[in-house]
Amino acid sequence: MTTPVRLRIAGGTVYDPANGVDGVVGDVCVEGDRIVAELPAGAPRLDVRGMVVMPGGVDIHAHVAGSSVNHARRLLPEEHGADPAPAPQLVDGPSARSGTGGTVPSTFATGYRYAGLGYTTVMEAAVAPLAARHAHAELDDTPIIDSGFYVLLGNDDYLLRQIAAGETARARDYAGWLLGVTRAYAIKIVNPGGVAVWKGGGRNLSGLDDAVGSSAVTPRKILETLAGAANALTLPHPVHIHCNNLGQAGNSATTLESMRALAGQRAHFTHLQFHSYGGERGKGWQSAAKDVIEYVNDHAEVSVDVGQVMFGSATTVTADSPVEHLLYTSTGRKWVNVDIELETGCGIVPYSYREKAAVAALQWAVGLELFLLAKDPWRVVLSTDHPNGGTFLSYPELIRLLMDRAYRDDRLKGVNQKLLRDSALLEGLTREYTLGEIAIVTRAGPARLLGLRQKGHLGPGADADVTVYAPQADRAKMFAAPRYVIKGGTTVVEEGQLRRAPAGARLAVRPDYDVAVKKDVKRFFDDYATVAFENYGAEP
Amino acid sequence: MSAADRTVEHVTCLGCGCACDDITVVVQRGRLTDAKQACALGVAWFGDGRVPDEIRINGREGTLERALAEAAKILTGAKHSLVYLAGDISCEAQRDAVGIADRLKGAIDSLAGSGAAGVLAAQRRGRAGATLGEIRQHSDLVVFWGVDPGARYPRYSSRYAVDPLGLAAPVGRRSRRVIAVDVGEARGPADADGRVAIPPDAELDALGAMRALVQGRPVGKDARFGAAVGLVQDMAKARYVAVVADAEPGPTPADPDRAEALIALAQALNGPTRCALSTLRGGGNRSGADAVLTWQTGFPFAVDFGRGYPTYRPHAGAAERLAGGEVDAALVIGTPGTLPDAVARGLANVSTIAFGSRASAAGFKPVVAVDTGVAGIHEGGTAFRMDDVPLPLRPAFDGETRSAAATVRALRELLERGA
Repeated sequence: MTTPVRLRIAGGTVYDPANGVDGVVGDVCVEGDRIVAELPAGAPRLDVRGMVVMPGGVDIHAHVAGSSVNHARRLLPEEHGADPAPAPQLVDGPSARSGTGGTVPSTFATGYRYAGLGYTTVMEAAVAPLAARHAHAELDDTPIIDSGFYVLLGNDDYLLRQIAAGETARARDYAGWLLGVTRAYAIKIVNPGGVAVWKGGGRNLSGLDDAVGSSAVTPRKILETLAGAANALTLPHPVHIHCNNLGQAGNSATTLESMRALAGQRAHFTHLQFHSYGGERGKGWQSAAKDVIEYVNDHAEVSVDVGQVMFGSATTVTADSPVEHLLYTSTGRKWVNVDIELETGCGIVPYSYREKAAVAALQWAVGLELFLLAKDPWRVVLSTDHPNGGTFLSYPELIRLLMDRAYRDDRLKGVNQKLLRDSALLEGLTREYTLGEIAIVTRAGPARLLGLRQKGHLGPGADADVTVYAPQADRAKMFAAPRYVIKGGTTVVEEGQLRRAPAGARLAVRPDYDVAVKKDVKRFFDDYATVAFENYGAEP
Repeated sequence: MSAADRTVEHVTCLGCGCACDDITVVVQRGRLTDAKQACALGVAWFGDGRVPDEIRINGREGTLERALAEAAKILTGAKHSLVYLAGDISCEAQRDAVGIADRLKGAIDSLAGSGAAGVLAAQRRGRAGATLGEIRQHSDLVVFWGVDPGARYPRYSSRYAVDPLGLAAPVGRRSRRVIAVDVGEARGPADADGRVAIPPDAELDALGAMRALVQGRPVGKDARFGAAVGLVQDMAKARYVAVVADAEPGPTPADPDRAEALIALAQALNGPTRCALSTLRGGGNRSGADAVLTWQTGFPFAVDFGRGYPTYRPHAGAAERLAGGEVDAALVIGTPGTLPDAVARGLANVSTIAFGSRASAAGFKPVVAVDTGVAGIHEGGTAFRMDDVPLPLRPAFDGETRSAAATVRALRELLERGA
């Protein structure tokens, strides 16, 4: 057995911001699957002198598993054919599996590639409750990484009925039941009310007070109800919100209004870049990053991930199906729409962000502005909304853009600047992220926002998820190829090669709620659903 | 009632792609005596729950251990192996089976290949679809395109698309208008509210004209598709249209380009109105095979691991490989009776291992046959409905019969140990 029972990761420069350690030379001790304070002198050593040691990466928002992701995979045979992923040469443990990559890789390739980047925890950001069982099966086939998912709730037929009837307590209990029965980690809202309107034969919503069927049901009411539910159920992660009007010029007004609607309550606003545009629909675009990040900076209860756009190929895949219809009509590319029973939709359009395209360049700049103007990196964390803004494989390049001003300015010269006149980036942002700040936005911050106390840090009792990088001036190269990755005490990457692929754990909550709600939900299912109440969800 | 008599509720039937999950199964004195709610096709699929329990190696009785060893020997000795996912197995069995094909650097295909035309069309264009529940909730116009689901998908209309009440269809059937499009002999349901006849040789032109009209492009007058043009005007005025078409091959072969033309029309209708294309798929959890292969390899069927990674050979599926002599050993998992004729014929000429219900009675004379139960009757797990909705399986005879999933797992582990 080569898996270390004990290991002293010795002499590296440690970045462990959750414990106030910012580039201090020292040892990190692993015993079993945990970090411990000390080991006997004779314990096995891994000499990492001169290298950078961080906790394993934590991705707070990616689309890696479930029915929508699988629709995207099925849509992209040409990408898979072009990016074969032969099985890695593993030294022990479960048999290695081959697969394919592209913007939406197969499950085994997803696990291997994330681990190869030094990421050890990934949250799937949008799972339809009807397909929760599917998402778990895919995550079971995604090795190495610990994973969980956010269950969609915000266009749910039963929930909207409760809101219409003013049954806030029942809505909360329904959320509690649904989280447990789907084995989910958090509540996700996507375009509150807008997807329900699209599914019902309409187009979309545009304002926070637009009616969703009943005038008592509005995006604002949905946000208030579910943010309140998440906080009342004492979930480790607050409600995870994809606002209305994604991708529209002028949508920053909606984003700010959504934030204000939940003022004083914990809430996480995801892929903020896609929601931070000024200008006016049909007339013009500009950056509104300054306004939006200013609100975030001033409100400690708000957290965000950026959803950076990276130039190159992407696949847009979202529960926000009306937005994908717009993208389909404007690009003419292939398009998947699936309306899903009870809650949510699915829209997919392959896409590419080109430096010479004005809107793509604006999106790229808005994301960087959000990062560079953020005052508290603990609440403004890294994502590309994989594979929407770019794939997770582009994280190292994104880190370079944040850490290397000269490189960033050079890239800026090459992009279409037509829409950048109000961009702080063009005005000159000198900030360069430090390694300690990168450790915050890629591991310590997401772990804290997720309420994962055993993740994102290297203190005693933490999960033994550790990544070791060899420093390089080119930060993209450095972060693309860690020298060692230790996951739950197992050395998965050795000398830059993937060597072991243990199964990851599932992260899920089981909140307490008033079980009386089940009777009412069952009645609704008996009247309307095509799936038995007893067969809904993902209980074993 | 004896102590072992029992009733199991909310059972999922895999008799067709409808995967109705409202079946109540009654077991008395070791036999399945009733499958309440099931249609005739479902009743036949459940049978009496009795399945043979034999293990045969070269025609003689053997132990499971010897059967697995022989299977491993044949498969590892083959240059070009084929794993075929037949019907009536769970996603759990399918997941391990893909692992076996990966390890053997062999090919893998499944029953999902029967609907290849529709899958390939969707890979070129995408799709405008919905899970069946959304059609139930919202559709006010249902167009059956050359198919009467009553024959092969008996409860499709009563459970999903037509009869049941929905959130926006408060009185069920009377909240909707049903149109039958008869394409030659391929006729829509007899009790439709309206009918449109299209000659088979005008079908593609008709679909093209319908789409052109929706997109505001010029459409000439042509008697062959005049009625279709009238229909699409009604479709564009509806609130939510469902177009229902059969993705499985029928007695009269469909135009190979029909699938893509239907997708294109359904997509275009999502301008003036909302539209979902519902493609009917067969049973046995073939949709699960499509989903599992897609998530593990990136491709839905006809995958080849020969290069050490998955490649897609959609026009070289199991039937073509077998007919072309490209296979020297095959592993068939699932009920042999569900195999397409061309695959069953081809298997007769190669060394075949069969794990599945009634494997020992397979007409292609497997070298190694291990009888197992049927997923959903004798073993649990997950299966996918035709609209990719995953459902749990609730076996009435759990643990009483050799499990296909456990047998596949055991072979996979044996192969891994042997390397």
